[in-house]
Amino acid sequence: MKSTISALMDGELERRESAGPLDALKSNGEARDSWRAYHLIGDAMRDTRVLSGGFAARVAAKLAAEPTVMAPVRLAQRLERPRWQLLSAAASLAAVAMVTGAWYAVQEAAAPGPQVAQVEQVARAAPAPAVQVQPPDSANDYLYAHQGYSPRNSLQGMAPYVRMVSSESRVTKQ
Amino acid sequence: MIRTLGLALVMCGGLAQAQGQAQTSPDAIALLRKIYHATEKLSYAGTFVYQQGERSETSRITRVTGPGPDGGIERVEVLDGMPREIVRTRDTVRCYLPESHTVKVERRTDQRAFPAMLPEQIPELARSYTITRGEPARIAGFDCEAVVLTPKDELRYGYRLWADVNTGMLLKSRTFNRKGETVEQFVFTQISIGNISRDRVKARQGTPPNWHVEDAAVTPANFARSGWTVGADLPGFRKIVEVTRRLGEARPVNQVVYSDGLAAVSVFIEPIAGRSEAVRPGPSSLGAFQIYTREVANHIVTVVGEAPATSVQRIANTVEFKRPQ
Repeated sequence: MKSTISALMDGELERRESAGPLDALKSNGEARDSWRAYHLIGDAMRDTRVLSGGFAARVAAKLAAEPTVMAPVRLAQRLERPRWQLLSAAASLAAVAMVTGAWYAVQEAAAPGPQVAQVEQVARAAPAPAVQVQPPDSANDYLYAHQGYSPRNSLQGMAPYVRMVSSESRVTKQ
Repeated sequence: MIRTLGLALVMCGGLAQAQGQAQTSPDAIALLRKIYHATEKLSYAGTFVYQQGERSETSRITRVTGPGPDGGIERVEVLDGMPREIVRTRDTVRCYLPESHTVKVERRTDQRAFPAMLPEQIPELARSYTITRGEPARIAGFDCEAVVLTPKDELRYGYRLWADVNTGMLLKSRTFNRKGETVEQFVFTQISIGNISRDRVKARQGTPPNWHVEDAAVTPANFARSGWTVGADLPGFRKIVEVTRRLGEARPVNQVVYSDGLAAVSVFIEPIAGRSEAVRPGPSSLGAFQIYTREVANHIVTVVGEAPATSVQRIANTVEFKRPQ
């Protein structure tokens, strides 16, 4: 079983071959321990930073708060990619589920995507947050004009002037 | 005791908790006044580092105060990145940009602008900030005492200032947001205070040939007469100046500045007609400055401030035009 899990982790299993190990992961504590250990080894080899304590619990809580929205959309995007990548995606999803203990995510992954359109509509209907735009092309001219009246000058002399002309070349036109 | 408690809270970044518990101390106001007078009277030469986000730049500053019609002279040279130099004489600020062969010139006719803050306004700061003493520190070889201005609301940033115990020279200043995170910081790494030879800041002899001069041509103005109103109902902020000026190359704009005595926000109003650059309405930021752009009655309103984005946007949204009767 351990070598199968390793293969599943590396995305080397065909879809029907992966059903068995996935089931094992769901029911078998030992299989789950191997899965976790392999990921730890992989992380160590790749020098991945260790997650902070309670990370899994926090992710689980966040998932509980926003249950299904994003996962189906992501799957739909990956459907057009080569098969091995798809499996790798399934494995990643399983990994997330493993970490969080939120096994319903796996079922979600297997579910068909007809609700995708609906989800996208919901996303579009949500109110747009305040979007940052690019500063005006002549932003430095404004900052320079403002600086002359800044009360900071009374405490720091001309030092605050260094703030606004740094990217002057950006707006210089010949 | 109360002050100690307040300080401890401020240092924990517990700004909200500090409200109502810490109290402005006359001692801290006295230190602020000492810094103000030092800035006005001292001659000094040194090197400071400006930090903002990922950016960190070193500059050299030399200031010589002096009697007579010349008054003082002050020069700042930025040593990192694109070369630039700012020179202030009694009533003029010139900014030299060698790469684009440009010099920006701003002359002041009203004395009020230099200095922008008056010593009698210092106690007024206590309306918007809780002013307390901070932890002493050693900076650039000098023993410093500190003053902390903790904002009473979310409309302004907080400031922590460190000044030389003996002279009151400001050697470090940090601006922080309501989470206690640093917005920007100035810190001297080396400085000599007093006895600076005037030769060290000789003004340039005129403008080098082939450079172009961008003269701001600042003149006093009255927007209300031409139909513009800026509500600026932000607590603590009041109008400090209203002018018409040129921005960059010959673009006439109206500028009105609001300030609470330390934070300041400028509102620029200019016609859309004749502008070649794209107008992008909405909030933006450049370094420590927040910007908000909107269109009102065929004009572009650009609000620029050393204040949180909320304040800048709130001021921008009060700008209105009504055709004068």
